[in-house]
Amino acid sequence: MEKRLYSLEDAIAKFVSDGDVVAIGGIGRNRCPMEAVREIIRQGKKDLHIVGREKGMDFDMLIGAGCVRKVSFALVSLEEFGLAPNFRKFAQEGKIEIDEHACGSIINSIRASAMGIPSIPVRGLIGSDVFRYNENIKEFVCPFTGEKMVLVKAVNPDVAIIHAHRADEYGNIQIFGSYWEDILMAKGAKKVIVTVEEIIEHEEIRKNPFNTAIPYFYVSAVVHAPRGAYPTSCDSYYNYDDEHIKEYAKLAKTEEGFNEYLKKYVFK
Amino acid sequence: MSYTTAELMISLMAKEIKDGYRVLQGLYSPMPMLACLLAKNLHAPNMVYFNTSDAVDPSPSEVPFSTAGPKLQENCIAYMPLVEVFDLAQRGELDLIFLGAAQVDMYGNTNLSVIGDFRKPKVRLPGGAASAYLCAFMNTVIWVPRHNAKVFVEKVGFITGQGYINGWDTRERLDIPFGGPQKVITNLCIMDFEPKTKRMRLVSLHPGVSLDDVINNTGFELIIPEEIPQSPEPSQEELDFIRSIDPNNVRELEFK
Repeated sequence: MEKRLYSLEDAIAKFVSDGDVVAIGGIGRNRCPMEAVREIIRQGKKDLHIVGREKGMDFDMLIGAGCVRKVSFALVSLEEFGLAPNFRKFAQEGKIEIDEHACGSIINSIRASAMGIPSIPVRGLIGSDVFRYNENIKEFVCPFTGEKMVLVKAVNPDVAIIHAHRADEYGNIQIFGSYWEDILMAKGAKKVIVTVEEIIEHEEIRKNPFNTAIPYFYVSAVVHAPRGAYPTSCDSYYNYDDEHIKEYAKLAKTEEGFNEYLKKYVFK
Repeated sequence: MSYTTAELMISLMAKEIKDGYRVLQGLYSPMPMLACLLAKNLHAPNMVYFNTSDAVDPSPSEVPFSTAGPKLQENCIAYMPLVEVFDLAQRGELDLIFLGAAQVDMYGNTNLSVIGDFRKPKVRLPGGAASAYLCAFMNTVIWVPRHNAKVFVEKVGFITGQGYINGWDTRERLDIPFGGPQKVITNLCIMDFEPKTKRMRLVSLHPGVSLDDVINNTGFELIIPEEIPQSPEPSQEELDFIRSIDPNNVRELEFK
């Protein structure tokens, strides 16, 4: 096993390229890799195609900072703090390409990537305009049963970025809580960056192999980033900071406000 | 008895959950979360409760603001990623999901995507989460905390969640015969769908709400039955449970 411990700066510089398809872990305001998102913005990455199921501030910040060309999503929202202001503005002005999915199709597009197949049959979506406008979802009739379904194209991320609880320096990753699509993303991407709360001894991994959510050979870089999900939650480690998210929602409504937010929390 | 509209809606949503049902609760779904916990703890102990925290049958001491938050994993039996809950749904083994909407039309189609042109919308909405996927084959209940003519429109400009499309047998003709919206529960009333035309029909009015309140706040012609009962009020036991598990008033989030 090779050691894969990187600084965040080096990991993002080495493994995220302009134009990449980037799958981003977590959902809503829970265990999103926010420190990595901030580093992508600091490094001024461009033309990214970001992929996630139900996303919030992470997507909205990347879009607002001009890092994004295309968005694949089932939902982008700040929940009770309102519509995601940059996502909304950039979509309305036609500045980002919209690849709107439903949860079941986007998860399966990630899953197909992990399975090594170009597309996957899925029930649902027929009759919805989400299906009508999505060129990566096609009608499909099962050749065995004649059932009408849809085929969802694999999204094949270039890189997956995930925040987890613990890892050793070889990149054996432990997650204590919900997985959402994090594991499918790690298994479906060409490169995988995992930021973690704690780096632990390798022996700890061997003692509790049931806790290993992602084994080392999937992982390109592991980064020690305590509170790396902040202001989103990290299970038993810390809760989301609603006051911070509220501040973001308020500031991001205007370009000046968004820049003020970046200055205060990203380029500090 | 004194209760809030949120408490009434939670009690009515919980009543849609029959004992033994398998129910999924989504993201930003504070009232469905409380309805699931209420049903599981009072009238539907054999229900299986899935949520966006990936938790099976959690029993939290109090409910969180984020309905995918870590608190909603507390005392759960197992973690089950959503992809596996969806597998269950595709097998026909998930009974119900509650879905929200920015707009709902007379056939129960919902819009959570765009107002205006899809490519250059006047308003870009958040997206429908699981709607377009599950509405094609599952029974759903739509909840609307603000019943007005901006939400209840004659025809949605974009179908995110499939209702009965153009009514009648449209779903059968599209080869999506199963499922569809069963009820619409709002701050004013309960509605369902007339079996033949699949048009939305009034079922009951909430206490203190008049028929005119509903008609004036609905942007299409509702089917009005001859007799209109009053929606059942929450019981004291239900109110006690809701208040004990929600000391931070998460239930009022959508009314602020």
